[in-house]
Amino acid sequence: MRLLRYFLFRLLQMFPIALFIVVINFALIHMAPGDVSILLAGEGADPQYMEEVRQRYGLDLPLYQQLGAYIGQLLQGDLGLSFRTREPVIGIIAERIPATLLLAGTALVLASVLGVIIGAVMARRPGSAMDTAVTTLSISLFSIPVFWLGLMLILLFAVTLRWLPSSGMVSIAGPREGIGYILDVAMHMILPVLSLSAIWLGQYVRLSRASVSETLAEPYVTTARAIGFPERRVMSRFALRNAMLPIVTVLGLELGLLLSGAVLTETVFSWPGLGRLIYEAILSRDTPVIMGAFLIMSFTVMLAALLTDLLYAALDPRVRL
Amino acid sequence: MKLRTSTILAAATLIPAMALAETTLVMPQQDEPRTLSPAPSSDTGGHGPTSNIYSHLVVMDWGIVEGVAAYPDLADSWEVSEDGLTYTFHLNTDAKWHDGEDVTSEDVKFTYDRIIEEGYTFSSFLRDVASIETPDDDTVVITLDKPNMAFLPMMAQGAQWTGKIYPEHLWADQEGFDTGPYVNEPVGSGPFKFVRWDRGSAVVLEANEDYFRGPPEVDTLIFRTIPDANVARAEFDAGQFPYLPFNYAPPWAEAPMLEEDPNINVVYTPSHFSRDIQLNLNHEALGNPLVREAIAYAMDREEMNRLAFNGSWTPGYYAGVSSQAKWINEDARFPEHDAERAEELLDEAGFPVGDDGWRFSVKVTGPNISDCTAITEILVRQLRDVGINAELDRFDQSTWFTRLQEKQFDISCYFGRYGPDPDAYREHFSTDGARNFMSYSDEELDQLAAEANTITDEATRQEMYGRIQEIVVRDMPYINVFEEQKMSLVRPGWTGFAVMEDGFNESISWFGVYAVSGPDDAE
Repeated sequence: MRLLRYFLFRLLQMFPIALFIVVINFALIHMAPGDVSILLAGEGADPQYMEEVRQRYGLDLPLYQQLGAYIGQLLQGDLGLSFRTREPVIGIIAERIPATLLLAGTALVLASVLGVIIGAVMARRPGSAMDTAVTTLSISLFSIPVFWLGLMLILLFAVTLRWLPSSGMVSIAGPREGIGYILDVAMHMILPVLSLSAIWLGQYVRLSRASVSETLAEPYVTTARAIGFPERRVMSRFALRNAMLPIVTVLGLELGLLLSGAVLTETVFSWPGLGRLIYEAILSRDTPVIMGAFLIMSFTVMLAALLTDLLYAALDPRVRL
Repeated sequence: MKLRTSTILAAATLIPAMALAETTLVMPQQDEPRTLSPAPSSDTGGHGPTSNIYSHLVVMDWGIVEGVAAYPDLADSWEVSEDGLTYTFHLNTDAKWHDGEDVTSEDVKFTYDRIIEEGYTFSSFLRDVASIETPDDDTVVITLDKPNMAFLPMMAQGAQWTGKIYPEHLWADQEGFDTGPYVNEPVGSGPFKFVRWDRGSAVVLEANEDYFRGPPEVDTLIFRTIPDANVARAEFDAGQFPYLPFNYAPPWAEAPMLEEDPNINVVYTPSHFSRDIQLNLNHEALGNPLVREAIAYAMDREEMNRLAFNGSWTPGYYAGVSSQAKWINEDARFPEHDAERAEELLDEAGFPVGDDGWRFSVKVTGPNISDCTAITEILVRQLRDVGINAELDRFDQSTWFTRLQEKQFDISCYFGRYGPDPDAYREHFSTDGARNFMSYSDEELDQLAAEANTITDEATRQEMYGRIQEIVVRDMPYINVFEEQKMSLVRPGWTGFAVMEDGFNESISWFGVYAVSGPDDAE
């Protein structure tokens, strides 16, 4: 009951925060130079037509009125129409979310699970040659720019070896349903997932190694070992479980960034996801799409933070909500 | 269940085999289309698909560099009355919409009328139209208010972006050209039919077997969105598509290496554009004609050419480009590089070197295209060599263009245009010209440019545009730097792309692939 009340309270809290985010986003976008009417009407367009375009999109109104109209619209659950395509923003975004979730979700799961396991193993043999090698590698992975890694993977696996497709999510002339389709998407996923998870992996390895070795030095672990629990049990039951807290925090933060964290990867691999939609929308000053995407992304961040807090309670009985 | 899976697998393996029997052409493009309805706004991602789905009344392709004013498309032929006021177009009688209906003169009238009514971009080319009449199904008569020599060439050029002909029977009860079911499921009369649009990935078209000029060689045409130029290049190298358009152009420094490669055909296409600089005459120093002349002397085109373009561009010393050679006045010539003369002029203009070592400061900017980036980088150094404290100022494309329009710039790289009709001089240099961002104004030029556009005699026009070039080179509100050169990569065996000579007059627009044909072994 208490948990439910807490949950509802946190949920309600999201709305004022969201409003605040909307206002900030709105201000930021409108501070940027560049006039959408020029982009829409084309260079050298009739000034009269540009004026009409501004009127049609409400760009001739003072800023506070534009903001007011936008918030009014939001309250009715309407994200508005895209400037570019004149289609509902909600549909445009919804269309792109599965592709992004598939890519970023797979990469995140892969990176976190692998990273935690590798880190935990390394924590047991600190200072070994293996540990040094993995630590160095994970720092390098963490520091590589994702677009560069992506390009190198494309050059190696798609151009030189020709084992894997270089970009896109499906082969254009490929099957549209059934096993063939799934295999096709899987083939296209390998490189982007690899480059995205490589970046995240380094971070999890380092985090899990630090966290596990810290808990391994705790008195209760020594006690558990002294009692004579088998090492595997000490590791899973005592060390890892307690080491999970900081890892879950980072995972939670990253879960929130799931929708937005792949902009560069999606652009390099021409992946038809939300990240690329935002990239295109920003280039073309498609304000309704940018605002809509930011809004949905901030909700995911807030939801993820909430989930993290709830998970804390499950992992650590000392945390009372 | 097992049986079904194996059937699907069998079908999946069959598809590549079937694709081999046909010619499939994948065209990479940087932007995703906004919509597939071309009239409401210029849309870089949409031009490719819509130019191959829709037809135009008359059109222009890269044959423009041979001085052609307009190519036939739906109109097989046309006559212009002696007073230059009445244009009579005769339509091809075999033209059909993709749904089987005949294309008639009513469709042309309906489209143009609606474009004018809605004030869409293309209406600026139809500004002087007094009436559009359709005496019979295959004849369109357009009457102008006043003679306008640029009418036909500008209409032909503009058509490939936003002036395509829509079917009246489908659009009559839609509002504008941006609502209803046919916006993103277009029905046109061009060489390819719409199949589907996978958002974020590709637009798929198929050959129109009933096309009025005969079916195209390519059976399946796919426009794939690849935003990253490096990735596009990698995919071209991997053999994913046979054509890398010039907007993905590799660095010019790579050109000699690419030319050595037997698996790549490097195609150079001249154009009717230049790369030049526009000077903002509101700037304290740039408002002084002596300073502008000094900048012309400070500029070393040969060095730029060597450093940026591997020596393969043509320096522009005239207020024109060689693809529009018949209009060039060779007596009006920008000065060649002479740094000493530049410094003398700057002293004379009252801008001596100050205590800080500089004469004055300017910011140099330009559009986000690689050649302008290279030109401005070198120009900044050349200006600093004569004591002008020049600095680069970079923006994304839309910000740059807004700043240009609001005259918030000092010097900007620009893509001046000299064709398809010399009326382009009016656009760039007359006081209210749409491309005059310099705040330049000269009464004699204004009058000449307005008059020259109404004169049918070519020799007289030549003289008048010759005088305009003299005025421009005298005042130097802009300085021509290079003639634009485009570089595209094509796989050997593929011919007929719009940028290739065998595509001229066959491509049907700059984006058209009607003339493209693949190597024999791909069929």
